[in-house]
This record gives sequence, C-alpha cells and structure tokens, in this order.
Amino acid sequence: MTLNHVYNGSSIDNVLELLSNNPDSKLIAGGTDIIIALRNNKISPKVLIDVSMIKELKEINQIEDKIIIGAAVTYTQIVDNDLFSGNLYGLYKACRMVGSPQIRNKGTIGGNIANASPAADSIPPLIALGASLKIGSIRGMREILLEDYLKDRENLGLKDDELLISISFNKPKDNQILSFSKLGLRKALAISRITISSLIGLNSESKIDSIRVASGSIGKFPMREPDVEKSLLGESFDADTLSLAVKSLQDSMDKRLSGRSTLAYKRKAIESLLEEALMDSNMYYSEVKL
Amino acid sequence: MMEIQLVINSINYKVDIDVNMRLIDLLRDKLGLIGTKEGCGEGECGACTIIMDGESVNSCMVMAFQANGSNIVTIEGLENNGELHPLQRAYMEEGSVQCGFCIPGMIMSTKALLDKHPDPTRDEIREGMSGNLCRCTGYNKAIDAAEKAIEYLKEGAK
Repeated sequence: MTLNHVYNGSSIDNVLELLSNNPDSKLIAGGTDIIIALRNNKISPKVLIDVSMIKELKEINQIEDKIIIGAAVTYTQIVDNDLFSGNLYGLYKACRMVGSPQIRNKGTIGGNIANASPAADSIPPLIALGASLKIGSIRGMREILLEDYLKDRENLGLKDDELLISISFNKPKDNQILSFSKLGLRKALAISRITISSLIGLNSESKIDSIRVASGSIGKFPMREPDVEKSLLGESFDADTLSLAVKSLQDSMDKRLSGRSTLAYKRKAIESLLEEALMDSNMYYSEVKL
Repeated sequence: MMEIQLVINSINYKVDIDVNMRLIDLLRDKLGLIGTKEGCGEGECGACTIIMDGESVNSCMVMAFQANGSNIVTIEGLENNGELHPLQRAYMEEGSVQCGFCIPGMIMSTKALLDKHPDPTRDEIREGMSGNLCRCTGYNKAIDAAEKAIEYLKEGAK
C-alpha cells in the first residue's frame, strides 16, 4: 500500500475538511472492500480517512415516517435492530445474507453503496423502498434518489471530496411488505449471482395495488424493473401472473445481457428467484397479517 | 509512523505503527502474537478472526490505525492463568483439529457467538462459524466441540 498519512475522522465536518485538503485521499469505514483494492493496487491513494467511528454516521433514526440510516451503520447493526423486522424484512434479510458474521460486523451500508458493485446486496431493497442518499462536501449537501444515482454515476456519483452521510426512506405502509431473495454459489461468503427485491402492497381484495421491483447482478448496476411492475400491478398472486412477471423479466434480461455467457443460466434461475421474492410477500400476508 | 493505544488480551499497549499496516500485521509481525493466522488476506477464510470490541472481525480487513482505542482479544488471550479455555479443551477432546491452521479463527468466532448467545442451537453455532473455512475436518467435530464447551461453560458458571 502507498499510504503516507491516515486520519481517524472525528466528525462529519472534520472529514469534509480533510477530504477537501487531501485531494489524493480515500475514505475507509468497514474496510472489507477497500483493503482488498488497496492491496491489489487497484487504487493507490496517499491518504486514508477512517469514518467508522463517527457517531452521527452510525445512527439509525426514525423521524415520523422517515427512517434514516447513517452511512457507517454496519450490516450487523441493521440485523440486530427491531425496526427491520416486520414489513421491512427484505432489508434485514439482505443484510443478514452478506458474507459472514465477521464481514457483517464491519461492513457498512454506505460502503456497499459507495463501492457500487453490481452485486451489492443492500441496494435492491433500498431501491424498492425508494431510498435517497444524502451526500456532503465542504461545498454543501445534496440529496439524490439512489435509483437515479446508480443510473449516471459518471455525473451524479460521489466526487473525490464527497462523503456519503446517510440513506433514508419512508417506512412502508401497513399493507406493504418488502421482500428479498438471493442466489449465491454457497450459503455464506457468497457474492450474489442474482438478487431480487420487491415492495408490494395488497388491497382488501388481495390484489396488488402498489409494486416496486428491483434487481441486482443482472445488469451493469442494481435497477428498477418497470416491466415486471407493469405486469403485476392490479393483479392477484397466482401461477399465471407469476409466469407473466417471469417472462417480462426474462425479456428485459435478454436485451440487457445479450451476448453474455451467463445469460442462459440467469434467465433460467430467475424463475425461482422472482417466485421466491414475490411469494415471500404473499406468505407474509397470509401468515403474519391475518 | 504513528502511535496508537489499544488493549490486547487485557494488556495496555502503546505502539508505533506503519500507516500501511493491517491489524493482523500489527498482531503477528510487530507484537509476535502469531496465534492469529493469515489464510487469504481477503476476508474470505476467517483464519485471521479475532474479537474487537466484543465482535468477531477479520483482522486482515482492519487497518491497524483503525484499532486505536479498541479492545482486542486474540487466541492467546483465552487461557486463564495457564488453564485452557473450555473451548480449547473441548476442541482437543473432540478431535476437532487436524492441520490446525483454521482453528484459532474458528475458536474466536465461536467465542464471539457464545459471549453474546450462551445457549445457541446447533444451527446457530454453524451460522456463527459460517465465516471460517476448514479444508481438513468437515466442520462437524468443531461444532461438537462448541456444544461440549457450552456445557463446560454452564458448569463453570454454577
């Protein structure tokens, strides 16, 4: 590694100043992605700034209907927090399936987003929730929808002097449930091959009256799946609507992943992934809500 | 170089570190605590697992400067006045060790679990060990050892 200087950041303002004064610097929180990049010389900053102990970045707060997660909140903190049982279960499940206990104890939600792997597990549920990012620098603060951030990272992504501060979203309504399913090559320490997350609301006639679906690892970045949403809105859960949803996702994948060797495998695997994510929601209604 | 302060196995340390050091480098190369092993250097195998501020972490995935002010327990810290910790004793009695390379990490992961959940199910024990890879044993005897250690710890607590 090529570091000349390291700092233990003491506060958000302290970090913003350090970032501004040190153009060749990188931020470290849990370290589970960046230490690998540093040791492989994929990046070679002169300065490393630790944000893992900044109190405001490690808080999970609820203000009325809004939930705000500090960027340095670890996966373990999310898993252990009661806020994410109930209809936010999909975010709990995504965080719980990351890596291993050791990785979850250090890895952070903010790091997952900033590192921006197409396979990032926390991102599909956050997209399904319509989450926003709060990003700061000494030049000021900005807020951006996570979904938009990912579509144009070249222009909207984190600049060298910016710090991801928090992720926020509105708590789902009582009739909505967040689900998540992941396909990995093993039960733990597995990078996702496919992830699907859905936020689905059922009305009193058991028809889908609201739906947001997001995927991971089946495109350049985790993204909304509007075709799947259209095929399911207003419908009820049955084998026919499920096949229509699967078909529309396969059509989108055929376009996005055309030419890639993994397409045949993933378009087959998506059948059960999508079914699991959607049926999770259905199960929640029949078992928990009634 | 910079100076950091931390507690390791109940001993206060003030050490000079190279800013490029990882915690595992500090433990093994600087402080001679070579019980902690480096298997992959990528956070995939868990051989380097130690307990930091009450949580199991991969010491190859923590920079040494990030450990300033922290409380660390390594495998060397498990013995009590020359007596083996119940986990160490159980691992020996159950024949859970073959080459031994994964063992310190596996024991530290299990200890971290038992510190928080003293009475886990067999599935919960497996989950607690899910970040530790073993190429020799097939894991079952290590899980048996964990169950035995839980009994020893319960007896000891009486």
